[in-house]
Amino acid sequence: MERWHTHVLREKIDPSSMLIQGNRACALGALDAGVRFFAGYPITPSSEIMEAMAVELPKVGGVFLQMEDEIASICACIGGSLAGQLAMTATSGPGFSLMQEAIGYAIMVEAPLLIVDVMRAGPSTGRPTAPSQGDVMQARWGTHGDHPAVVLAASNVADMYRLTMAAVRFAQRFRTPVTLLADEVVGHMRESFAPELIDRYRLTSGDFDFSPSYIHPELVREVHPPHVLGSEAHPHVTGLIHDETGFPTNDPQKSEKFLRELYDKVGNHRDELCLYDVKNEGKGRVCIVAYGSCARSARAAWKLAEKEGLQVEVLHLYTLFPLPVEIIQKVARRVEFMLIPELNLGQYAREVRKMAENWTTVISMGKIDGTLITPREILDRVTELVGKYESV
Amino acid sequence: MSATAGAPGAGAGGGKAAQAARAERARASAVDRTGLLAGRDLVQVRFGGSGGQGVILMGVILAMAGARDHRFVVQTQSYGPEARGGYSRSDVIISDAQIDYPELEHADLLVALNQASADEYIRVLRSDGVLVYDSENVTAVPPFKGEQFGIPFTRLAFEETGRKQTANILTLGAVAGITGVVTAESLRKAVLVMVPAGTEEINSKALARGLALRDR
Repeated sequence: MERWHTHVLREKIDPSSMLIQGNRACALGALDAGVRFFAGYPITPSSEIMEAMAVELPKVGGVFLQMEDEIASICACIGGSLAGQLAMTATSGPGFSLMQEAIGYAIMVEAPLLIVDVMRAGPSTGRPTAPSQGDVMQARWGTHGDHPAVVLAASNVADMYRLTMAAVRFAQRFRTPVTLLADEVVGHMRESFAPELIDRYRLTSGDFDFSPSYIHPELVREVHPPHVLGSEAHPHVTGLIHDETGFPTNDPQKSEKFLRELYDKVGNHRDELCLYDVKNEGKGRVCIVAYGSCARSARAAWKLAEKEGLQVEVLHLYTLFPLPVEIIQKVARRVEFMLIPELNLGQYAREVRKMAENWTTVISMGKIDGTLITPREILDRVTELVGKYESV
Repeated sequence: MSATAGAPGAGAGGGKAAQAARAERARASAVDRTGLLAGRDLVQVRFGGSGGQGVILMGVILAMAGARDHRFVVQTQSYGPEARGGYSRSDVIISDAQIDYPELEHADLLVALNQASADEYIRVLRSDGVLVYDSENVTAVPPFKGEQFGIPFTRLAFEETGRKQTANILTLGAVAGITGVVTAESLRKAVLVMVPAGTEEINSKALARGLALRDR
């Protein structure tokens, strides 16, 4: 454990009383996962990630760049990635918008990257110090064209550490950008944090191989061989649709093959990519499906309901995309209602509805006033649902 | 890492054995906590003031002290875009059990450093809670029937250290002394970790003065 968690364990003398800010935990997770390149532009509520990287990266021989804006930041990351670093940037909504075109480029050229978006209330400058989950669909479809996306969502400080590690690992294995979504509350909160928990996320030595030619042995047939800058071959990297030589192609067959392969390398591995947690499995008529801060409200609502003699199930999603189709449909088959509390107007509820509407009624519960959804609000909605349909 | 093989656990709690060990250490620290709120297994604290008074730092230090007592803590904050002035608040939950919902639903302890925060946040204070306020900044004390302590923290800090910036640390000492939400020992350590380098001595003096207020 010590070997892989050196940065986080250095935080406090007594690990049982660690108190870390979410954003700092994210930076420590990245460092412990082997990230040695960061380029970014500070923006509330993500700036502490960048501050931590500015202090820590030079100590381990890494590269830290403060760029002139977010477009330059993500482009520097792509450069770093092509040169064999697992590169990372962190931002919030306005910066994430600026990055979108280059994220598409990174997907096309299969550059492993980590993008952390600590969401604020939007749109535009919005409310920098208020939490939101308004960027969920942007993380999926923000860049143009059909493309795969891997999007994780952190709900507490421990998540900010371990999901950052998971995101780095996914990016490296599947050679694609991975987005980690957090929100202002998760990013800024400080919380006690037990390092023994993270032991099960132990990385193996292969996970630290960021050399530009590395492909995980299990994925040789699915991930395109990278074009290695500085190798003897003539590398060619382009955002145009290209074939295995790296040069552009207009051939319809080759175009489709290329794009389908990009999609499939993510879509065929939902089993590995889709992280979730089911609480109170198989009990009650309602399942609360939640992610990020709302998952904490959902857990509290479940415990509150239990005290009041009501059973509800909680499906806590850590991976939003690729869509966790299997678990959603499995749960949908056994409950009457799926309630989706989120800090937007139902962005992810629409995704869940598409997957689950054959079996259950999907109810969206959105909030956009810049405050969290309280456990009581969720429980009131659950009680209403259960009561309303009991008499029918 | 796959969902079937190792779905992420419940959060920051760790395994069952780790939780039991933590609970054992928390019980050990409970012996050293005495005061109005020392017996509660869940304490929700709100600090309110204006930007620049060190309100958020107070929350962070209290949270760190709570973590050093081996209890579960969450610290959140809310502040305006201004660097000075504007409102600022910092909330801390200290619990013997894992904390799901990270924000306050009501407060057991309200520490108000200015009039606006006393007026604004008195509504979240439970009737069996404790109100602590700076008696020179909060001149019109909002109606509250429970335990309350008005102390001129800013003046005391200036008298003690010559710097009114140490008022937040002095206040923390008073809060810990009166309520026992954290042990004095953990608070001392947390203050030393968190205050700017070079100010350890004056802040320790401010803290000691604050802690001594419990004997008033």
